Amino acid sequence: MLEIKNLHASIAGKEILKGLNLTINEGEVHAIMGPNGAGKSTLSNVLTGHPAYTVTEGEIIFRGKNLLEMTPEVRAREGIFLSFQYPVEIPGVSVVNFMRTAVNEKRQHEGKEPLKATDFLKLMREKKALVGMDNKLTNRSVNEGFSGGEKKRNEIFQMAMLEPCLSILDETDSGLDIDALRIVAEGVNALKTPKTASIVITHYQRLLDYIVPDFVHVLANGKIVRTGGKELALELEANGYAFLNN
Amino acid sequence: MLNSSIQHITLSIGEKRELVFLNESDMDWHIVQEADSFLRVHILFLSENDVTAQWQSKLFVEQNGANCRTEIYAMGLLHDTQQAHLLTRVYHNIGGGYSSQILKFVLNDQTKGSFRGELKILPNAQQTEAYQTNRNILLSRQADMLTEPQLEIYADDVKASHGATTGQLDESALFYMQQRCISRDTATKLLLEAFFNEVISTLSDEQQEQIRETIHRIL
Repeated sequence: MLEIKNLHASIAGKEILKGLNLTINEGEVHAIMGPNGAGKSTLSNVLTGHPAYTVTEGEIIFRGKNLLEMTPEVRAREGIFLSFQYPVEIPGVSVVNFMRTAVNEKRQHEGKEPLKATDFLKLMREKKALVGMDNKLTNRSVNEGFSGGEKKRNEIFQMAMLEPCLSILDETDSGLDIDALRIVAEGVNALKTPKTASIVITHYQRLLDYIVPDFVHVLANGKIVRTGGKELALELEANGYAFLNN
Repeated sequence: MLNSSIQHITLSIGEKRELVFLNESDMDWHIVQEADSFLRVHILFLSENDVTAQWQSKLFVEQNGANCRTEIYAMGLLHDTQQAHLLTRVYHNIGGGYSSQILKFVLNDQTKGSFRGELKILPNAQQTEAYQTNRNILLSRQADMLTEPQLEIYADDVKASHGATTGQLDESALFYMQQRCISRDTATKLLLEAFFNEVISTLSDEQQEQIRETIHRIL
């Protein structure tokens, strides 16, 4: 599904990713761990096409297409979803209006008719139930005045609405208490299919108790320096990243 | 000569009045409010077809009786070489009054706009509440907005504030929306509609629909 080859990327002239390689197949969950400043968030920004980042070398092939040639919205419509570490507040734009626009722009890209109002509301109800999203929140402005947990749940709700093939969860556990974490993780697991894949970026092992990865990668100094199974996360939790200095 | 073009009106005790000015050039109004009167004024600059429009508007409101309420809402969505220049002057001459002003401009292309807001609370106007907010978004490097909020307070028991900001659209919000499949153009429209909503939502339903349609056509 996703093939990243020798990826080099920089922001404001500073190189952050220095030859990253990663292959992700359908049905897989990949965790990416690593110390602060290793390039974890840069990877999610580059995958989604954030304009502040420049790819200087390498390629990214997503479902057979050159991802780097696509605008951010086309990448999203092709099936890449980022659950933001810091979801943005959009005063004056309700969650309902935002999602109706998003779903219909995706449908247009797929050559489908816009959803009828009744079908859209039905879809909303179904997905709200799936991720435990409060009715009150969907009538409010996007993320405005939401608590940390509500913002993250809103991200997962949007993911459910857009049904991406590749979802990237960027520090989805930050700022969540254990109950909120479990609910968010249950939502993510409920959306998992044999055709979808996830990249879970996290500092902590605890999220991986709920979203169990097939592979754990350690990102350090702009490259993946170690790859293992889920037991690698436990080892990192116990011993930290000291091995990187040896 | 100039004075002859000023429109004078007085709101009598307890009177309520709503005025909507859409694309009025050279408007110059002086409105006096007597006690317990309520005034709401909308000043709107948005024309799809008149691409060289130059609007000059002056609105002078004096609260001459106690417990008056004044609300001023203004918006401009300028494109091509349009210009809009707005002066509001709100004087609280007597106490116990309330005034609020919300003024929002979006400037694209080579447009120019200016807002000067003179808000004065005179010594006899104790227990006045007066607020003024001017927010502007520049969509082009060639667009230019001059804003001069002026607050003069001569009474000591009042609540008053003013604020003015001029900036660009929130890039992080645009990217967030793009990441949710929404094109940059559509995202821009959604953000601008949201920006104007505070002004538009105070109009009647019928007017709201008309204004929203015009905004859509311009964007």
